[in-house]
Amino acid sequence: MKLRVCGTTYEGRVVDLRCRSVDGATVAAAIRGARPLPAVDAPAPGPVYDYCGRVHPSMGLRTKTALAAAARSMGHETDHDDTIAELRERLADLDGAEPTLPSARESVDDATVAELRESAATARGRLEARERLGAETAEIRAQVRETTRTLAKRETERAAAQQSRQQRRERAREYRDRQARRRRLADRLANCRRDARRELVDAVADDFVAALAAVPGSTPEERPDDPFDAPPVPAALATLRLARTDAPVVLETDRFRSPAAAADWLDAPVVRC
Amino acid sequence: MLLVVTYTRAARRDLRNVCRAHEDTVVRQFGRAALLSATEFGAFQALRLREKHGLDVQIERVRPFEPEDVPDRVREAARAYEARETASIPYRQFASGRDLPGADQLRGEEL
Repeated sequence: MKLRVCGTTYEGRVVDLRCRSVDGATVAAAIRGARPLPAVDAPAPGPVYDYCGRVHPSMGLRTKTALAAAARSMGHETDHDDTIAELRERLADLDGAEPTLPSARESVDDATVAELRESAATARGRLEARERLGAETAEIRAQVRETTRTLAKRETERAAAQQSRQQRRERAREYRDRQARRRRLADRLANCRRDARRELVDAVADDFVAALAAVPGSTPEERPDDPFDAPPVPAALATLRLARTDAPVVLETDRFRSPAAAADWLDAPVVRC
Repeated sequence: MLLVVTYTRAARRDLRNVCRAHEDTVVRQFGRAALLSATEFGAFQALRLREKHGLDVQIERVRPFEPEDVPDRVREAARAYEARETASIPYRQFASGRDLPGADQLRGEEL
């Protein structure tokens, strides 16, 4: 690795920054590529580093999740991997975008239309009566035209409102069907990943227990009955010892005689902060 | 009543919070759905969820239902089929030869 801190370039498998005023969180973020400075030239960290890329006294650790990531880094595979890949793909293919619905229209109520129909019929009746009598019809003709036109307009509006309502419901339903499918797939994926994680943890559990027992300076309290309940620092160190660690690990612990001893024990490049 | 159905985890969480805060408006709560009372306040709460979560919240109007709201032949069909002697007989087979509406016929009729 190559690391440049405040004008000094460090190179090699072990870098000791204890006398520099740069904290471990900053260096770990730079190694992850989450910040541009300090400039780091090193292999990219894998998922294990999300959990234990920086080992420090106040850290927390989801041990089994980290250990599963470590097992993956060592090339372990599970019976669930094909299903996981397939479910991921299917989930990605399901478009999650919310559709735009046609805008809602004010509906014309049945009473209004019925009323208009009636007045149109009345007007026509009066026109026919006047025609039979041979009376003057210009005015009533205009009235018939007017009521008929209004009726047609309202009926069109009502049909459009019904159609828009129908479309809104159909599109919303399609979207929700898709959401329900997504949810079912996501649940299955979560279950599969849990099963895979269990399998991965089982595969490396014995090695983990051995590594945990070998962590330098561990006290009896740090070795509970269930090894997965071990405190975060020793658990993280044991996990890192198992994992494939090409990227530098940031250490803020005095467990090791020297940063070089830590690098040997972990079989990893080390930045001591 | 108003039926509120949620389609995401976030919408479901907010629905539960609404139900917890306004028990008097909740008629019944299910996993990711709830029946709210048909009041403006019920609609207000449902619409708040809809504003926040868009189409991930579905709101439907639910009407009370009594068996008497349904035509006699449908009720009789249900009663006769549930009183059948052979448990494994499908309704389609059960209905043919008896004076009961067929399944397709029932499907074709809107309530």
